[in-house]
Formats: sequence, structure tokens, C-alpha cells
Amino acid sequence: MSERFDRQIKYESDLDLNFAHQIASFPGGERIFDCIQCGTCSGTCPLSVYMEYTPRRIIAMTRAGFKDEVVRSNTIWLCSSCYSCTVECPKEIKLTDIMYAIKRQAIRENIWPKEFKMSPMMTGEFFKLVEKNGRNSEGWLMMNLYMKSMAVGDALKIAGIGMKMFAKKRMSLKTEKIADPAELRKILDAAGSEMELIKEGAKEVVHG
Amino acid sequence: MTATETPRIGVYVCHCGINIASRVNVKEVVEFARGLPHVVVASEYKYLCSDPGQELIRADMKEHNLNRIVVASCSPLMHESTFRRVTAEGGQNEFLFQMANIREHVSWVTEDEGEATSKSKALVAGAVRRVAFHEPLTREKVPVNPNVLVVGGGIAGIQAALTMADAGKKVYLVEREPTIGGHMAKFDKTFPTLDCSACILTPKMSMVKSHPNIEMMTLSEVAEVHGYVGNFKVKVKKNPRYIKEDLCVGCLECIESCVYKEAKFPDEYNLGLGKRKPVYIPFPQATPQVVLVDPETCLYLKKGKCKQTCLEACDRKAIDFEQKEEISELDVGAIILATGFKAFDPTNRLPQYGYGFYPEVYTSLEIERLLNSAGPTSGELTTKSGQVPQTVGIVHCVGSRDKKTNVWCSRVCCMYSLKLAHLIEERTGAHVYNFYIDMRTPGKGYEEFYERLLQEGMRPVRGRVAAITDWAMTPEEEGKLVIRVEDTMIGVVRRIPVDMAVLSVGLEPQPDAKEVRRRFNISCSPEGWFLERHPKLAPVSTFTDGVFLAGACQGPKDIPDSVAQAGAAAAEALALIDRGYVEMEPNTAWIEEELCSGCKSCSGQCPYNAIGFDDEKARAMINEALCKGCGTCVATCPSGAARQKLFLDKQIYEEIRGVLSYV
Repeated sequence: MSERFDRQIKYESDLDLNFAHQIASFPGGERIFDCIQCGTCSGTCPLSVYMEYTPRRIIAMTRAGFKDEVVRSNTIWLCSSCYSCTVECPKEIKLTDIMYAIKRQAIRENIWPKEFKMSPMMTGEFFKLVEKNGRNSEGWLMMNLYMKSMAVGDALKIAGIGMKMFAKKRMSLKTEKIADPAELRKILDAAGSEMELIKEGAKEVVHG
Repeated sequence: MTATETPRIGVYVCHCGINIASRVNVKEVVEFARGLPHVVVASEYKYLCSDPGQELIRADMKEHNLNRIVVASCSPLMHESTFRRVTAEGGQNEFLFQMANIREHVSWVTEDEGEATSKSKALVAGAVRRVAFHEPLTREKVPVNPNVLVVGGGIAGIQAALTMADAGKKVYLVEREPTIGGHMAKFDKTFPTLDCSACILTPKMSMVKSHPNIEMMTLSEVAEVHGYVGNFKVKVKKNPRYIKEDLCVGCLECIESCVYKEAKFPDEYNLGLGKRKPVYIPFPQATPQVVLVDPETCLYLKKGKCKQTCLEACDRKAIDFEQKEEISELDVGAIILATGFKAFDPTNRLPQYGYGFYPEVYTSLEIERLLNSAGPTSGELTTKSGQVPQTVGIVHCVGSRDKKTNVWCSRVCCMYSLKLAHLIEERTGAHVYNFYIDMRTPGKGYEEFYERLLQEGMRPVRGRVAAITDWAMTPEEEGKLVIRVEDTMIGVVRRIPVDMAVLSVGLEPQPDAKEVRRRFNISCSPEGWFLERHPKLAPVSTFTDGVFLAGACQGPKDIPDSVAQAGAAAAEALALIDRGYVEMEPNTAWIEEELCSGCKSCSGQCPYNAIGFDDEKARAMINEALCKGCGTCVATCPSGAARQKLFLDKQIYEEIRGVLSYV
């Protein structure tokens, strides 16, 4: 068939009917079933006009099992957690939490658009620092992230900004630490393997 | 039978379809009941309340010569009266019956079948041991006062009052506002037929005024309610109008001659869209056709100093600045509450819609007044700067379906929004957008009206409006209000510039609904809507006998439903009155004279003032006609002299023993 005529129909067999329940299993995620598709979230969202699917459509598609489209969409990565949607939602659904739930699912499965690779990487690097020291150290987070995600040349290009920030004391290379990281370790171990997945997920970029 | 006769008890366990049988092992309970003392027969049936179920009990009573009945089924509220009647039809006194609630108290609230079954057995054991100590009782018959009180003079109150007055009953219609007519009087047209609201309502208002059986009391509120079904005593407070109603003929000369030459005070009836003088009439067709003086703005009433030109102008001498608040007492047999609703006020509650901030954002009720030919603009719709609007956006569900304001659907706003869209388009030629979440048109001719609007070119956008702003992002948006919404049918976020935005506000309970509820001793849902006795089978009755509901005070309702409900409430009230008497529950209290020490502990506690004191004997006495059987005195009495029928100590202790002996 000609390339001009893409198959538009979506068969139930193409969908992942378990996807909604997967997202619902994250804290706050279960609220997707309360949505009445009014579109307040999308109308309020300052970034929805740039999104492949509006937040309202993300919920509809999640409920219907359009897993591939949802986890590969730029919507979840464009969400800047401004919480406008959460404030305005007439059903008091915490849309931002749902965006995080989907992001976590995407990271678990190593799927995200190439141009957003910094997001999951930062999640991983942030977690590594907190896991080790109990606190984030911004200077090291930035250094680690740029070293990992950029070619050396590109990283050097933005090094100037970093230097200025060090000079103005907006960032520091001092390592922030809690008194007893071992205790934190116990808590994290009790929390289970979810954290490992987030760390591991940041290794590669599958979808581009 | 006499109380000394040996009890012969029949126990009947109901399946209630699967309501009980899916949790409770009914067979096991029946088997268990057979082994209880004095039980002669025990059986089960799928629906005991049905005719064959009732017949089963009646037949057993004859065959086995039963003199006590226990039914284990639903709540007494649901079917106690049914089975008491069956007991009476079987030839015994109706109070030789006891109910065990194994549905609401067991099967609906117990997960485990074993637990549910043992709990049922315990309750049946309690009921069996209690009923053995029941005694025959007789009901007192009390005559019913044939007069009726209707509270609220909107369309529901008007309809209820006229129906009962036509049936020959004396009706007192109490209305808080200076005129009857309620919300309906403010509308221009009504959906879906586009009947002129005034043409169908004002004749009814006039009939109320002229009906020989109706006493209309405006500017009045019910202050106190005492008594009980058939015999209520009601105090009505009438606020001063400063006009003698019987003398005023509505010539309006006083308004003309008021020292204020210009009308300069915001006119409440038109929601502040028009102006009035201190002496005014809410609208030309107000009923009664009588002016009133506003004490807040009248110079004489406020400051005591005025030329009082109005007094000179009134040749009938109807103006009376000395009028004071008056209390009148009414005796009525039945009460119909038709106190209506309040329109949602979006001021400060939904800041994203800019109501009260952008002048061109209106509520739907304001637009009703602006479109009304008797309204402040004689029906001409323009922006505040006098321009005819080119585009208008109507926002549905304002304050409704929202956990932060009201969670319920207001039921009428889809339809009235469509009506407003039609009227706005007809009067101004503007393009009208309707922003809706779901289009709900369930009513006769309603879907057809929606179809008509679609054919007329109304522009529907499915999506809940996120914000209304004047922040222009394109030249076309300059000077307009911009409505930002996701068009959920198409899946894009749209910005739609309009000249006027209309907020289709929802319906709320009246702000004083909870006080009114207490005054009439009825129940309210948590939101404040008055609670009907049963949502399907007793929709106009309340849990207080003799008090009925009509119209939107019970929940959001449109005009046809309000009128239908008003007719139903009137019919219920008429059935009560025409029966002529009410049978009182015989569960009243009495005082055992030889035990009473005359301490008067009980009389102060009685909420119904039913306890008097015999000074000669120095003993308390209970007036059975006033006693409601609440049991407070029984619990209060330190010497155990206060006792209550159906709640004797031996009955209650036996019931407890029955339950505990099983547990």
C-alpha cells in the first residue's frame, strides 16, 4: 500500500490493556479513573500547546492502554511540575503525580525521546548522590551530569557558566552529607528495588 | 390474647433476594431459631414483604395458633409497619411483633459469611426473647388540623398552595421576599418550549393573591415550629414593609414623589444591574402589587429627617413608618417546604473566570435579567460600553462537578445555557459558543432542543474552560476576553476571543438551609439539600411526619420537575388531612406514681415539654399527646419511675440476654 495511506485504526490487540493498572499502582496513579475528560488540565497547562498529546489525552490514552504512545510522547518530559493542572482539576486529581508515575514507568523500560535524555539521566545522577550522602550536592550533580551526557568539547563550552556560578557562590563543590548515611541505606533497602531501576535506567537511550 | 398467655412464637427469615442470602446462611439461622424457647415455627422466604410472604405468616398464625411474630429482614424504617399490619391481620395485636435487622446491620456490613450468620442468630435470639415480653398496645387517634403551611413562594410553593386551596383547604403561604414568584419570575423564556416565563407564571401569582383560601404572607419567615403531625403550631415573623398592604393599590405615586429624584440604589431584584429608589416595587408584575420601603436607604427611616414627600403623594395614607416586626401564630396540620435554591456566586470562588474583575463576565442569572423585557434594559443585550456583542461564550458547570466548590451536577445548566444561547443569538445576532463537559439533556423535548441549537449554528466546544483572561496574544484578541480551553473533541488547546462571557452557575442549597432544617426538625444531606424519606418511593416526604418537600430545596430541579413535585407534596398533605386523624405511636412514657419522688429531674430534660407536675400529689405527670417517646425521662429518672411502652426494662434486658446468650 502507498506510504500516503498509513493505517490509522487502532486494534485492541495493539494496546496494553494492563497499562492503566500499571500506572494506577503508583501512589496517586489510581486517580486516573476519576477523570471526567473535561480538559481543564490541558487548558491550564502553560506547555500543553507544545505537547504531542495534551495531559487530558494522556489520561484517556493511559486508561485505554495506548502504552507505546504515552511512554514515548514528549508530554511527560515537557511537564515542568508547575502544578497548575493539579490546582485547577475539578476532581482534585494530582496530574503532576501521574506524570511522574508515567515517567518512572518509561525509565523502568528505558524509553524516552532522545532530546529529553537529560531528564532521566539527571534522575539517576541525583539519586546516586542522595543514596551515597543523604543529600544532593548541586555542583557535583551538574559536573557528573554534563560529563556523562555531553561530548568533552560541548561540556567545555558551558564550563564558563559553571565557573561563574562557582565564583558567585551559586554552586559549590563541597559535598553535602548527612550524619549517618548508613541509616539511610537501611531505609532505602527497605524501600526495595524500585530505586535500583531508576539508577540503572539512566544508562542508555533507546528511543530516538 | 393476654400478656399471661404462653408465648407461641413464629420466626421468619427473609432472603431479600440476594441482599441477605448472599452473606447470611439463612437455612442455618432458621434451624437455630427452631431451637429457641417458645418458638413454634420458623421458616424462610425470598421476599417476605411481598404478598405471598405476608400470606405465609398469616396462614401460619392461624394454623399454629401463633401469638408472637419475629421477622428477621431489613430495617424497621423499611418494613416494620408492613409486618405489624400482617400481625394484626393474623388476628393478634400489632405490637406483639419484633423485627431483627439482618440486612443493614448484618449482610450489608459484614464480609465473612460465618460472622454474618452468627450475628444474625444473635439478633434473632434477642428478638425472640424480647417479643415474649411484648404486651398489646393501642394507638391513640389524634384529629388533624385541616390548614396547611407552605414555606416559599416560588413556582413549587405556588403550585402546592393552589392545588390545596382548590381542594378547599386553608393555605398559609409564607415568602421571605417582598413578592412571590421566586427564580422563575426572573427568567425571560423557559426551556425547551421557549414559553414566556411571565405569561405562564404571573397568572398563577395573581391566582394566589385572589384565592379565597390562600393567605399570602410576604416579607415573612417562619420563626418557630412546635407540635407534631396534624397539630403544628407555627410562629411567623413578618418584617415591616412600612406600607399598609391592604391600602396600597400599587399606583407608584410615592416612588415618583420620593425626595431622591433619581433612582440611585442597586436594585436587588435585578442583581444590581438596575437602580431603584428607597421606596420601590421589585418588578412591575410583583405580587402583591404593593410597594415597600427599604430602611437601609430611606432617609426618614435611617436618619429620621426627610420632607416625607411620599406621605403627601399617597392619598390612601398607606405609608406607615411606624410599622414594626409582627409575630403571628398559625395552627396547621401539614407543612410543605418549598424554600428553593441559591444560585452559585462565583465571586472570589473561581478567580480564574474573572467574575467581578472583568466587567464583561456575567452570571447566567444576570443575563436572564438583561434578556428579560421587564428587566433593567427592557431586554436589550449590550456590553457595558453599549456595544452589541459579536461573540459570546457560555461556560457550563460553573461551581458544579468540582470538588473545590460543589460536586453535584446542577441538572438545569446545560438546558438553560442552550436557551440563553438561542436568545442571545436571536436578540443580538452574536455567534455563541457553549463550553460544556458533558451535554446533559434528559427530559421531554430536551435533546430535540439541543439538536435545534446545533442546527441554528450554536458553536459547541467540549471542554471545561481553564481561564478567562484579557491578556491578548494576537491582534484579534485585543480588547476582548479570551477563553482558554482544551477542545477535547479535537484534542487541541484553543483560545477563543469573545465580547461577553456568561458563567452558567450551578444550584446550591439556601445559605440558611441548615437552620431551616433544625427549625422544622427534618434531615439534610451533608451538602444542605433537604432529605426525602426515600429517594424513590417517598420523594416528597421527610422523616418528620406531616412535613413535605417540593422543588429545589430537595435537590437541583427544573420547572417541570418542581411543579410535578409540588403537586405530589400537595397530594400527600391532602391525604393526611382528609383522613382526618393521625395514629400516634404508642411508645410513650408514663410515671409509676408510687415510685416517683417528685424530684422534677425529668421535666427539665423533656425536649417536648410533655412533663407537668401535680402539686397536690407532688408527682410528675406525662402528657401522652405531647410525648414523642424519645426516652430521655426514662434514662434521667433516679428512681426508675419513668417508664416507656415498648421499651420496658424487662423487654430490653431480655433482648440483651438473648443476644449475649448466643455470643
